[in-house]
Amino acid sequence: MAAPSYDCAGEPRYVPSMSVTRPDSTGAPLKASLHAAREELRASIARGAGGRGALERYADRVDALIRQLFTDAGAHDGPIAIIALGGYGRRHLCLHSDIDLLLLFGNGIGPAEERFVNSFLNPLWDLGVVVGHQVRDIEDFQQLETDNPEFLLALLDARAVAGARSVFERFGAVFHQPGTHAFILRSLLGLIDDRHAHFNSTLYQLEPDVKDAPGALRDLTATRTIALLTDPLLLRRGPADAARFDDVEDFLLRVRSTLHLECGRNQNVLSHELQERTAEMLGYPGAEPRQRVERLMSDYFRHARIVSRSLEWARRTAPVPVGPNLGVSRDGVRFIDPAQAARNPASWLGAFQAALDGGTEVSEEALSCIQQHVDRYRADDFFVDARDRSALLRFLKPRPGLYARLSQMHDCGLLGRVFPEFQAISWRVVRDFYHKYTVDEHTLLTIRNLERLITTDAADRMRFRSILLDLQEPELLVLALLFHDVGKWRDDDHALESVHMAEHVLDRLHVSEDARETVLFLIRHHLRMSLAAFRRDTEDPDIVKQFAALVGTEDRLKLLCLMTLVDIEAVSPETLTPWKAELLWRLYVDTYNHLTQRYGDERIERNEAGLNELLANTPEDVTPSEIAGFLEGLPQRYLNVFPREAIYRHIWLARDIKPDEVHLSLERKGAVWSLAVATLDKPFLFSNICGVLSSFGMNILRGHAFTNPNGLVLDAFEFTDEERFLELNRDAHNQLLKVMQDVVSGRADVTSRLRGREQGILQARSAQRFTPVVHTDNKASGRYTILDIVTGNALGLLYRISRVISQHGCDVDLVLISTEGEKAIDVFHITKAGAKLTEAEQIALTSDLQRTLEGTV
Amino acid sequence: MKLLKSIVRPNKVDEVKDALAKLNISGMTVTEVRGHGKQKGHTAIYRGKEYNVSLLPKMEIEVVVPDSIADDAIKAIVQAARTGEIGDGRVFVLPVAESYRIRTGELES
Repeated sequence: MAAPSYDCAGEPRYVPSMSVTRPDSTGAPLKASLHAAREELRASIARGAGGRGALERYADRVDALIRQLFTDAGAHDGPIAIIALGGYGRRHLCLHSDIDLLLLFGNGIGPAEERFVNSFLNPLWDLGVVVGHQVRDIEDFQQLETDNPEFLLALLDARAVAGARSVFERFGAVFHQPGTHAFILRSLLGLIDDRHAHFNSTLYQLEPDVKDAPGALRDLTATRTIALLTDPLLLRRGPADAARFDDVEDFLLRVRSTLHLECGRNQNVLSHELQERTAEMLGYPGAEPRQRVERLMSDYFRHARIVSRSLEWARRTAPVPVGPNLGVSRDGVRFIDPAQAARNPASWLGAFQAALDGGTEVSEEALSCIQQHVDRYRADDFFVDARDRSALLRFLKPRPGLYARLSQMHDCGLLGRVFPEFQAISWRVVRDFYHKYTVDEHTLLTIRNLERLITTDAADRMRFRSILLDLQEPELLVLALLFHDVGKWRDDDHALESVHMAEHVLDRLHVSEDARETVLFLIRHHLRMSLAAFRRDTEDPDIVKQFAALVGTEDRLKLLCLMTLVDIEAVSPETLTPWKAELLWRLYVDTYNHLTQRYGDERIERNEAGLNELLANTPEDVTPSEIAGFLEGLPQRYLNVFPREAIYRHIWLARDIKPDEVHLSLERKGAVWSLAVATLDKPFLFSNICGVLSSFGMNILRGHAFTNPNGLVLDAFEFTDEERFLELNRDAHNQLLKVMQDVVSGRADVTSRLRGREQGILQARSAQRFTPVVHTDNKASGRYTILDIVTGNALGLLYRISRVISQHGCDVDLVLISTEGEKAIDVFHITKAGAKLTEAEQIALTSDLQRTLEGTV
Repeated sequence: MKLLKSIVRPNKVDEVKDALAKLNISGMTVTEVRGHGKQKGHTAIYRGKEYNVSLLPKMEIEVVVPDSIADDAIKAIVQAARTGEIGDGRVFVLPVAESYRIRTGELES
């Protein structure tokens, strides 16, 4: 296996490919017994029987010799073991192979140990054998010798020959660590590739090296090593069973033995000259030497092919590394080094994430490792830094397998340790004659129902599935579900207690303010939608209006709708009847329509109660009357959509605005940029802003346009900058704002800017995946004609739509833009000369829009 | 004996139940049903596309009462389930010929 070496000063270093023999001097009885052993092996080889049995017998006789030399070397004070390595360790000692030995000391190496090494090795050299030896203290194995992978491989075959058994056992305990095994495995795969490259990666060599060539003895050993290091039962399922593999090995060893015998040295190439002699010695029939050689060689290739296939198979099937200290094999994801994993609880989630990613589970072995150590850690230990926290949120994205992984986390005690709040409901029984499962299982089932929704093909679930697929941050829903019932550890009103407990969780996770509000909202109101849908008359517009006021935005509506659906479904298999699903859906649709179509009808009034909070915390330079003046006449929705800080910012923007002025603010939050534009109303205003953003390659996620009775227009956009224009270019910020100023105030034209991009090679518009839907409605709103457009998202889409609207002489008074994946859903509130559109005007506009969207104009 | 089959709005079930309980009528069967009467349903629009809601969700309450209190029970149901708007539902009254208790096989009168 490893190349032999000589280590002059007993330093723990391994010097490859250097061997030493010493001239003969003394030790006649030993010499005689070595001679006898060799003669016996020679005789076996000559009979064509130089295979495993003969080599093992030879190795045994060499063992006896070593033991004798060990005894002759005299008593040594400290513990020492003489260990056979590599091929000798496997007892496959060929006639002229090196004898690889490890002299292992248990108590450090000093002058006494050096004296022992000399008195042991000198007689061995005097016998004329080739020795490759290493001298180590057992402590040396505490550190992995990463610069010498061949030596590490040879150590896998370590076998005690002489000396203290206890030292050998201590070595085994120190050396056989998962981390070491992982390193050796990686190194072995690299060594195999290098070696194969040497042979042009083919086993069909006319003069094969029966030790090193592809399919030869080293590959055979490597196959067994891969199995040993990853899955000891691996080869049972491989292309050749163990017995077959032994036969192949025996054949290759017999061939190698004849080469050693014929050449009188460690020669392993089955050259043309040696093929005839080998074929003869191994007894291949045939009148002509050529026939015998052909039979030998075809036998060789047959055997080598089995080795080659088995090796490839083992490489393919053995556990694959899937992350730091993680490997995946048949029984799932496991820690390569459990001791290391035990010390690093923040890495445990990685195992569950890897299992989720790989569609497998976390292995029993890893689970019991976690279970054994989990009680040593507190909740904070699992989230050392921001990376760990965002990894958790990523893990919670609903997808097939999440329920199963969370259940595993729960079963091994991890979930309850990461979230002590969840532990409070572990096995909690609430006898309400309604729920059928313990509170923890009910909670996890809600998540299962959610993940099932992703892959459902049930007709009545597809509509809910489409809501789920539209969500920007579905992990917030999972987070809310996880804690919606934790308050049930107490017997009174659980929703409030759950909110209280979830606040602690969200503090630890450092989630953004928006996300936090959303999660707490969902937990606080998780029973409200089922109450409204099943216990109230949803045909009554007031009920819908009240419910819409509660949820405030479509995003929250979607989240609450799905939460309600999966929560009911997790009560028992019978609870969510198609009838209930239908009621829930209707409330969803009615509320959605109310939120998107009626929002222009409800205006903010002076002295409105909801303004108190806004007025209570005003910055120094904003007066309550300025706020009231700014808000008056804006739609109610404005207060739902924008946080306080944004509203103050808008007030500053709108302050003392002159007719030809455009005030802008641009800021970034994570990956999303927010642009606010305040100005007095101008022709093509909305479409120009959209056009400028698109011309800079920005992807508009959502937008709001608000107009107040004084002609002030406030347009707020959120967009992503996928080309990273704003990030990578120093003056980009100002450039964008400058172009925006120029275009909005009519000094520059956006059409030409946009045309270049639209016709550019990067933006070649792919085929529409959705049939565009254009729908007008004059009934939903008291003031506006509502224009619903659902179509595939594309560069400049909003610009094109809003231009068509403007060309028809219509004013865009309010608009709601949302992008859901590849779909754009835009709801425009339009008027013409201050009134709703007539039927003829609606038809004309719709057909123009339809043609624009279908790309036929 | 009379079998009263009432089709009511889903949100009215609890009120009907309470009203019947006041007459000491407690055994009843409640079923989720869908159908339409004179209302014929309507179409709803979600994101510009129409979808049909011609069948409206209702609850059906079935209760068997002695002839002597049938009128009171019907009155109680009507009063509890009534909103005054179209779609409040119906009460059907059917005669019951015989009734057997499954556990004992007894004929009830």
